[in-house]
Amino acid sequence: MTQRILEVNNLAYSFDTYAGEVQAVRGVSFHVDAGETLAIVGESGCGKTVSVQAILKLLPEPPGRLVGGSIRYLGEEISQHNPKKMSRLRGKEMSIIFQDPMTSLNPTMRIGKQIVEGIRKHERISRREGRARAIQMLGKVGIPSPERNMNRFPHQFSGGMRQRVMIAMALACKPRILFADEPTTALDVTTQAQILELMHALKQEFNASVVMITHDLSVVARVSQRIAVMYAGKIVETGNVRDIFYDPRHPYTWGLLQSVPHREGDRRQELIAIPGTPPDLFHPPAGCGFASRCRYCMGVCKQMEPPQTDLGNGHLVSCWLLDGRAPKTDTPPLAQRKGVQANG
Amino acid sequence: MGKYILRRLVISVLTLWLLATASFFLLRVLPGNPFQTEKLLTVEMQQKMIHYYGLDKPMLEQYVTYMGNLLHGDMGYSMKFTNRTVNSIITSGFPVSAALGLRALAVALPIGLFLGILSARKRGKAMDYLAVLVSVIGVSIPSFIMGTFLQYIFAVQLKILPIAQWKGEAYAILPTAALALALLASLTRVMRASMLEVTTQDYVKTARAKGLGEGRVVFFHQIRNALVPIVTMLGPMVASVLMGTFVIEKIFAIPGLGQHFVNSITGLDYTVTLGLTIFYGAFLVAANFLVDIAYGLVDPRIRIAK
Amino acid sequence: MRNETIQLPEAAFVPIGLTLSDAESISRPSITFWADVRRRLLKNKVAMLGLWLILLMTLFAIVAPIVSPFSYSYQDLAIINQGPSAAHWFGTDSLGRDIWVRVWVGARVSLAVGIFGSVIPSLLGIIIGGISGYFGGKIDMLIMRFIDIVMCIPGMIYVILIMLYVGSGPVAIVLAFALTGWMGTARSVRGLVLQLKEREFVLASRALGASHMRLIFDHLVPNTLGIVVVSMTMGVPSAIFQEAYLSFIGLGIAPPIPSWGQLANAGVALFRVFPSQLFIPAILISLTMLSFNLFGDGLRDALDPRLRM
Repeated sequence: MTQRILEVNNLAYSFDTYAGEVQAVRGVSFHVDAGETLAIVGESGCGKTVSVQAILKLLPEPPGRLVGGSIRYLGEEISQHNPKKMSRLRGKEMSIIFQDPMTSLNPTMRIGKQIVEGIRKHERISRREGRARAIQMLGKVGIPSPERNMNRFPHQFSGGMRQRVMIAMALACKPRILFADEPTTALDVTTQAQILELMHALKQEFNASVVMITHDLSVVARVSQRIAVMYAGKIVETGNVRDIFYDPRHPYTWGLLQSVPHREGDRRQELIAIPGTPPDLFHPPAGCGFASRCRYCMGVCKQMEPPQTDLGNGHLVSCWLLDGRAPKTDTPPLAQRKGVQANG
Repeated sequence: MGKYILRRLVISVLTLWLLATASFFLLRVLPGNPFQTEKLLTVEMQQKMIHYYGLDKPMLEQYVTYMGNLLHGDMGYSMKFTNRTVNSIITSGFPVSAALGLRALAVALPIGLFLGILSARKRGKAMDYLAVLVSVIGVSIPSFIMGTFLQYIFAVQLKILPIAQWKGEAYAILPTAALALALLASLTRVMRASMLEVTTQDYVKTARAKGLGEGRVVFFHQIRNALVPIVTMLGPMVASVLMGTFVIEKIFAIPGLGQHFVNSITGLDYTVTLGLTIFYGAFLVAANFLVDIAYGLVDPRIRIAK
Repeated sequence: MRNETIQLPEAAFVPIGLTLSDAESISRPSITFWADVRRRLLKNKVAMLGLWLILLMTLFAIVAPIVSPFSYSYQDLAIINQGPSAAHWFGTDSLGRDIWVRVWVGARVSLAVGIFGSVIPSLLGIIIGGISGYFGGKIDMLIMRFIDIVMCIPGMIYVILIMLYVGSGPVAIVLAFALTGWMGTARSVRGLVLQLKEREFVLASRALGASHMRLIFDHLVPNTLGIVVVSMTMGVPSAIFQEAYLSFIGLGIAPPIPSWGQLANAGVALFRVFPSQLFIPAILISLTMLSFNLFGDGLRDALDPRLRM
């Protein structure tokens, strides 16, 4: 029985702005077990970054505000932790790497020191030992000549190198769970592949769980075991990789899968995009958030939020189409994947 | 870093040369001569003085002579106080002005920075509004007006501090305060803005994400980076303190260099005006140069190329 | 597991398809950039206070001397150094002149010098900085080197030297400011233009074949306008300060034309006995500088896109 590292239930987070309350996260639930990678997928503004940063309490409050929900780390409720308690968790138990490596590192501090200060906060080791650990970590993430490079400043490195430094910093204290917020979005494709490989290898070595936030489905397929699809502040479908790619049930998931250009597809065919834009989170719709963009929309979709249906094996879907009274709908052809290599 | 320093050095030298040349020609084309106001001198004697000071030679020759002397550190004699060299005026007056200026800086820098940081940390709360209010007012009241206000309140009405002159510690309090206030206000504003800017940066979030304590985050990640724009302000700050001494010395009857400068202007004492302009120029250029070096030290992106 | 326990009419499950008009509707009313700036500015009470004070002072400066029975130069040696009274609201000075009138004539001078002394150098700075940034290359390098060299020394020293040559008076002061004050603005405008030049919308425009003129007026100017307006506004208290400073060291406006700085200077000599003669102009100088600072701050905040939420 694998250990449940993180359990999030009905997390709701809002921002109080001058124009009113923005409900960025409206009831999100997911869990992460030991050694697995969960991918949270969704378009910009759906609330995936806010969810993760809210768990780590990294959002400025005001204007942010935890509206409700429970967050359990290794069984312990952490949603009400004060900053001091959180600082003991951050870096040591839970780490995060951010999207933009160009701005995520302190420009006036040498990278070695930035790694060492994190380690020495959580472990009682000497400065020399700290430096040795930092050099070791830099080596593990593939920075050449770590003894020399650790005395360099961030602006002397390329984007890909800086992201590696971020990874080294995040994993230095061997956390149990690593949150990666679009770690490769700002990098070119080749570097992207390298970073993903690196994260995969390190995850095995450190036996860590990973929560990978991304909007890129190709990334998802390679690295994760389970996927949570998020839209307008809620999770609309959760499942393991096979289920999501071979048996997707939510129209938004269908839309996402359809919009990925096929390598073997007809080149003359137009790219399929999901029409419309996400709803305004100042006034979230009463019913399903996706209703106005969904071609399968029914009357009930606009009135009431769909209940969650459990299809077994951890496959959860929130959609009225799964109600017995709804017309039978098949997965659209282009949303079906054949021969996708899911990562075990 | 070496290349950067060299560039700044060359620019500094050019600036000085430009200033010396500009002042020289500007002052020479001024109508009248310094001896006109001396009612006791006849026209003949005036001519003799003019000849003695070489004021009747062709402009270019005067320029070359002057430049040559300058390189030897010789700035000639005052035309008004004919037994004093410009250098001696400088050596008697500069220490006083410097003492005043340094005190003002020593008071304004720590307080201003501290208030700015405090104000940014407690943004939106009472402390912030107070600090912003004080700093806006401080920036809006010219130092010499503040000086006379302080004189009036503390020396004339309350009589707890001396009204003028420079005879001891107590005498320094009001002038220093007058000079320091505007500076302090400006520092508070800039530091506050800089801190607020830094606080929204990603790397501060990264620092917190590593679990670092608030103290360390504030000091090494926020303040350290917020100081960078402040350093660029140091040059103009020293300049404004310097300019401030001119008027403050006048109000408080302090025997510093500023008084001599102002008097030489109204008295058409060319050599003194010229000499002091060049001296001030050299001083400021040197100060700017040091600030440039400090900037390179504080921001590694400047001193280390990729 | 199909959920059929919720009571819902059959009709609720009839497909109604895409309802895109909802999807594309933006529920927050859209607002142009400048309208948003105006809204934010008007909401800023402190900035509005500054603006009102400025307008009030301008009003007085224009109207008061016209309405007053005294002229600024009329001397009545029988009533020197009097305090405020019904006939003379601000009292009289050491030559028996009405201070109220002198203050508001001085206001005209100080405000005019302040405004022109800020706007003219700013305009010069925009043009030079804009040319430097837009055309780049050798011109840019030369101009920037020149500015680097000259700016090592505070402008005031140059102003003093220029004033010595040109003489005193408001025109001379504005001229001196114009000659020395353009450099700071030029630098920042040049920096801004350099940044904007590389932005995508400019490249896009050029790809569409826009001419230089079009690029400058349709793209670069609107984007630099905000910074420029703020810098002009903040330049006014600086110019007023400099004028007062110059008058204080004897180089500013020559009597009998009053300016606030000159009135303050005259007041210093007497302030132990007749403090009001110093304090009145001093307070007005400070109040005006404060008003411009407050308004300028508000303007800067209103123009900052990041504060727009």
